[in-house]
Amino acid sequence: MTTLAPRRIRVVLPSRRDPRLKLSAVIVTLQVLGQTVLDFKVSIAQILVSIGVCAAIDIVLTLRRDGVLAWPASALLTGNSIGFILRASGTQHGDWWSLHGVHFFVLAAVAAMASKHLVRPAGRHVFNPSNAGLVLVLLVIGPVHVFPQYLWWGPVGVPLGLALAVIALGAAFVLRQVRMMQMALAFLATFAALIAVFALAGRSFVAIWHDGAISGFDYWVYICTSPELFVFVFFMMSDPQTSPRSTSRRMAYGAATAVVAAALLLPQTTEFGVKLALLSGLTVVCGAMAVRRLEWRRASAAAVAVVAAIALVGTVALAGDESLTLIERGLTGRNAQ
Amino acid sequence: MRAQIRRASAAVGVLALLGCLVVASGLFDLRERLFGSATPPPKRSAFTRVLDGSTPAAARGRPTVLRSQPWWQEVANLQRRGAATESVDIDGDAIQWRVRARCATGRMRILPGLGGTDCPATTTAYGAGTGRRRLEIAADGPWRLRVEQQVDVPLQEPPLPAMTAPGSRVVARGDLYRIDQSADGAVTLYRLASGRYALRFEHVYVTPNVDLELRLSPLAAPRTTREYRSAPSAYVSRFDITAGSLNFMIPEDLDPRRYRSLVIWCPPVVSAYAAATLDAPS
Repeated sequence: MTTLAPRRIRVVLPSRRDPRLKLSAVIVTLQVLGQTVLDFKVSIAQILVSIGVCAAIDIVLTLRRDGVLAWPASALLTGNSIGFILRASGTQHGDWWSLHGVHFFVLAAVAAMASKHLVRPAGRHVFNPSNAGLVLVLLVIGPVHVFPQYLWWGPVGVPLGLALAVIALGAAFVLRQVRMMQMALAFLATFAALIAVFALAGRSFVAIWHDGAISGFDYWVYICTSPELFVFVFFMMSDPQTSPRSTSRRMAYGAATAVVAAALLLPQTTEFGVKLALLSGLTVVCGAMAVRRLEWRRASAAAVAVVAAIALVGTVALAGDESLTLIERGLTGRNAQ
Repeated sequence: MRAQIRRASAAVGVLALLGCLVVASGLFDLRERLFGSATPPPKRSAFTRVLDGSTPAAARGRPTVLRSQPWWQEVANLQRRGAATESVDIDGDAIQWRVRARCATGRMRILPGLGGTDCPATTTAYGAGTGRRRLEIAADGPWRLRVEQQVDVPLQEPPLPAMTAPGSRVVARGDLYRIDQSADGAVTLYRLASGRYALRFEHVYVTPNVDLELRLSPLAAPRTTREYRSAPSAYVSRFDITAGSLNFMIPEDLDPRRYRSLVIWCPPVVSAYAAATLDAPS
């Protein structure tokens, strides 16, 4: 910690032991794989803008609120996560410096940082910032302009193997340090069991990258073994700031998120809906966990309730969206994703 | 004062979130109104390539948001001699319409659109209006006019009568799958009682483009343009309508039993759009 005279602004620099640095390294490695061998439809410019906007907002608001010039480790991670998951329709893989749809990334970044700095009942943020930003932008702007990264990252091969290895190593490092391994396992076990039941019950979904409906064993495989699911559980849900403190409560939080996500996923017939069910499951559970510390006469309590309602209602509404089905089946006459 | 501003800001923030809730919930189609739709407004499908007098343009199928590559639907086919005034009805959904005229002797003039021309001649004029259009033809000799409207709705043709006639049988079936573009729907290969073969597409959709072709390939299931091009294929027909249920006759000199898949091919961009493996019905 350094002190600058004469304004006495504390400067907080990054620490090498900070787990967020490791997590950032994992996400950046996955971004590199996505840009080179995994055909991610996101540009480097879009990622940098997301990171830049989050960092700038975080630095300014932290300085204003706490009088601290802090290295924006969390904000960098938030921006990176937004760039990792959010896609602007029409962006082509390999168009590294494209600013196409960059306003959606800015919007998600602003919404994420607003949820972190403005929605603070009892002086603490409720939602995982990137999760809240992504859910708001994906549900409000909608599938015509934005979509989440596909569940399917590519055929079984070296690139996918590398990505899974990076995710596994990152999970081992990060989850152990933040004591979230049990939470992740509780989520995965509950979620996998529920998705298996849905698969047996004949549920299916369509995705732009797949011919025909995905059902049966494939339904379970494409959802439960998706690298996107692992990234969500290991690196988004594991945010200690928005999770309970004790191990047992963290396990309950993992299982509860799995149940809510699965419940939202049940009526979905599109990949967009499946991904939103996952993301919104976390938003809803984070909102519900904050209920006890909300003072209902304050605006922040109303904001928490409305954000959770957006996640819940918006995701359920996707299940009956015929236009979304046509997009996922590639029947709109233009490349919507 | 500062507290009041803070309270007002908080109220505005909550109101904005409530607005987001309404948009995200899909109520009142607000999201589509604000940010646009992935699909065009619904239009009714067409039933036939040729609208004769007994088929009013308004007699259409269910509304659909699917769109075909624009195609020409015949509205009238007139054969007369000398001067005449004719009326044609251009559908309100038509993109444009055209008159293809042929005359044998003397001079001919069609208003609106076609100035005087010396016969014999074959010529085409285009118009953009819809509704009832009056054509004034000034001609010295015999003439023939074909009036067509360009539409982009799917065509829902019934099966050819020969497909359901005694002696006709299904020899192969397949589902369209994407190669370079989107595709959906089923294909059935019929052997008709006459010995000829015909294809029927059911609920088909292929990414629209001009100059698409149907070709038969000896490959069972080509997955890439390169793979498709590795084996010689046979031309079947133009694929001018890319959505709906459609019939195509296979050329008489082509034996489809020598081929294993149907490919939708786009010569201008050298791209295999989609294919269907033709399997014997179980």
